[in-house]
Amino acid sequence: METMFGIAVDGVAYGMILFIISVGLSVTLGLMRVVNLAHGAFAMVGGYVASYAAQTAGLSYGLALVVAVALTVLATLPLERLLYRRIYGSANELAQVLLTIGLTFVIVAGINYLFGPTLKRIPLPEMLTGTVELGPKAIPTHRAFVIAAGAATLLGLWWLLERTDFGIRLRAAVDDPAMAAALGIRTERLYLATFALGTGLAALGGVLGAELLPLEPYYAIRYIVLFLAVVAVGGAGSIFGSAAAALALGIVDTAGKYLIPNFGEFFFYAALILILFRWPHGFFKGRAA
Amino acid sequence: MTKLLEVEGLAKNFGGLQVSADISMTLNAGDRCALIGPNGAGKTTFVNLVTGVIPPSAGTIRLAGRDITRLPAAERVRLGLIRSFQVARLFKSMTVREHLELAVLQRDRRTFRLFASVGKVAGLADEVAGLLDTMGLTQAAHTAVGSLAYGQQRLLEIALALAMKPKVLILDEPAAGVPHSESQRILDAIDRLPEDLAVLMIEHDMDLVFRFARTIVVLAQGRLLCSGTAKEIVADPRVREVYLGSRADAR
Amino acid sequence: MTSVAERPDPMSDPVSRHTPPAARRDLGWIGIPLVAAVGLAAYWLLPDDLALLTRIAASALFVLSLDLVLGYGGIATLGQAAMFGTGAYAAGIVAVNWINDPFAMLAAGGIAGGGIALATGALILHARGLTLLMLTIAVGQIVQEVANKARDWTGGSDGLSGIDPAPVLGLFRFDMFGRTSYLFALAVLVAGLLVARRIMRSPFGLACRGVREDPLRISAIGGSPKSYLVALYAVAGVFAGVAGALTAVTSGIVGLDSAGFPWSAEALVMLVLGGTGRLYGAVIGTAAFMGIHHILAASDPFHWMGFIGLFLIGIVLFLPGGIASGLERLGGLLRRKEDRA
Repeated sequence: METMFGIAVDGVAYGMILFIISVGLSVTLGLMRVVNLAHGAFAMVGGYVASYAAQTAGLSYGLALVVAVALTVLATLPLERLLYRRIYGSANELAQVLLTIGLTFVIVAGINYLFGPTLKRIPLPEMLTGTVELGPKAIPTHRAFVIAAGAATLLGLWWLLERTDFGIRLRAAVDDPAMAAALGIRTERLYLATFALGTGLAALGGVLGAELLPLEPYYAIRYIVLFLAVVAVGGAGSIFGSAAAALALGIVDTAGKYLIPNFGEFFFYAALILILFRWPHGFFKGRAA
Repeated sequence: MTKLLEVEGLAKNFGGLQVSADISMTLNAGDRCALIGPNGAGKTTFVNLVTGVIPPSAGTIRLAGRDITRLPAAERVRLGLIRSFQVARLFKSMTVREHLELAVLQRDRRTFRLFASVGKVAGLADEVAGLLDTMGLTQAAHTAVGSLAYGQQRLLEIALALAMKPKVLILDEPAAGVPHSESQRILDAIDRLPEDLAVLMIEHDMDLVFRFARTIVVLAQGRLLCSGTAKEIVADPRVREVYLGSRADAR
Repeated sequence: MTSVAERPDPMSDPVSRHTPPAARRDLGWIGIPLVAAVGLAAYWLLPDDLALLTRIAASALFVLSLDLVLGYGGIATLGQAAMFGTGAYAAGIVAVNWINDPFAMLAAGGIAGGGIALATGALILHARGLTLLMLTIAVGQIVQEVANKARDWTGGSDGLSGIDPAPVLGLFRFDMFGRTSYLFALAVLVAGLLVARRIMRSPFGLACRGVREDPLRISAIGGSPKSYLVALYAVAGVFAGVAGALTAVTSGIVGLDSAGFPWSAEALVMLVLGGTGRLYGAVIGTAAFMGIHHILAASDPFHWMGFIGLFLIGIVLFLPGGIASGLERLGGLLRRKEDRA
């Protein structure tokens, strides 16, 4: 029983991190139809900036988080203008793969040049190091914090997309780009804003998840497959799909590590093939449609 | 006479909308038939139903006596029900000759030969040369289709259809987009099609229809309005009404 | 689906506009003898780098398999290493347990690579775009995971070692200087190029070109696009499997990374560097990529990543046809100058 509870907490926390990072990828894929393999690199940049801000510049954890997200977004916006804009649209998928692999390589090399190849940590404040009592159970505060942050991100995104002007325009552009343009929605600015949103979420996840997905230069290449898998199963552009897929992956993967250390990943990818075979647009989109 | 294509009671509904209703017609070997009708009469739907692009809601289609109503499109092609496309749909980087080679090889199901050389497949070069000659495309044999004049692309469309040894050939506006002055070349090519073939031409251009067709079928609002020889059709008051009526509507 | 290689309109590509297709094909004839000649010259000129040259030859065969899939079939994949890894493990397992003749090992690799490609291709090739990319990645991950868990057969994360191939044809021992290894790898690569070229000029190759350009038109002449793609995927799987086996023969070891996602991605990078749909573009790309890697990684592997990353971005933005298209354009320019003179 105790193990099951531990698995559930760790799995959900891990899933939330996957969700925060992947949903950024899902949003940009859904709107701009761009397979951004550099998304993991953006998450890594966020993590490194926070690490530098907290360890070297001595900022508090909260402040470092804010700085990391803001700096990552600012640093990647020129990339949208210079590179990504040329490869939007589903007809360019090979160019997208190559360009974003190239960008990933450059970022990996740059991070190594600036910070070296060793593992970097983001020291947790005392507030997040203990445990919190939850009725008869105790769970690590950091896990609780991550879960809460994931839930807040989910709600925040839902609010943003369902309740704000930006969200209405974004959904309109995803559903029917030509119509949205005809209605006078300025897609260029919308793309830029969505790109910033996606990058910001990547950076946020990179910082919050540094305990679970450790920061080192190959981070960008190591975890991108996971993020892509979440988006593929969840369906591009679907927030709740991403959340469900990320949580499922997080729990399956964690359970695999605790219970059946032999074939966790194997089952996940086998399930992924079966799901995509049956619902090529993702489990959740395929069912809704 | 051999009945090659028999369509009986063909109908199609999209949701509650009936786009084709109770169409019946027969094509015999050697027929030269034109299918006409005002815009929105359901001509394209009819072609798509017959060729298997969309499934019918009711009715049967038989090809040379065999029921093909439920067969997939590619299977109908293999049985000899061939269409050409309204908008030339070709492989841009391939040459004219390569198109015909591919069509002939596909017809004979020899495309899964991995180690044969296309140039050495028995009988292929002669057959392709014959097709090129029939369509007057010999000069253009080595030209990539991307840099071919549009009229020649239309000729190649017909040659491709012919290469598949059709029993029934459906030509969907074979002269669409070709200058009027050049449409005679297309007609000449059609004239050289094998005599025992059943040809159904979908066409707007009445001039072309009268030059080509021995019989004419008129569709209006998804239904078969009438059929007969060219003279009978011209004299039929219902045809006038449909055409003039629809023009009045359009204005 | 549009790939980088086919993006430039044939009309705007100076080569295809100014040279008739027959002449363009003749250019392809030079490619393979040139590979053989340069390969032999390298054997004499760079005797100290035979290990690197061997890896380049084996990898070029792998990248060639990707060119069949991507350049001729238009299938964008990030999982080609699944076939390479399967072939490598099959050859290694066969050699360790039963028979260590190098040709038997290549055959085992080819059969295994082709088999896994046929099985997975039939399952995944209905998909397109991101879904297909994900499925190909997933197949690679599964192969890697199976290899990782089947320790008894594969050695798991330690890798499969102790592969000791018998002399080629019973005559040429695999010597410690890697001379036999290199010549063997070069011979297999050239044979692979010849076979690939043969296949691409066969009726099957013609049909595959048709599928890449317009699958619906293939259906309209009675063909099944998916069965062509699955068959092409399987054929390429044989090539990838043989390449994996060749690596096992010449290096004596098979590791988990031979089936990994990074290796698939690297192959894609090498192919695009060289240029897709040309066969010998695969060789140029592999040689350039691994050569630069060798030089730059000697100081710091990350310098190399930065360089290749920038190069890749540059290729996508400025030279969508890869190095080979650049050479062909240059050739086209020179030829036109001669015409004028």
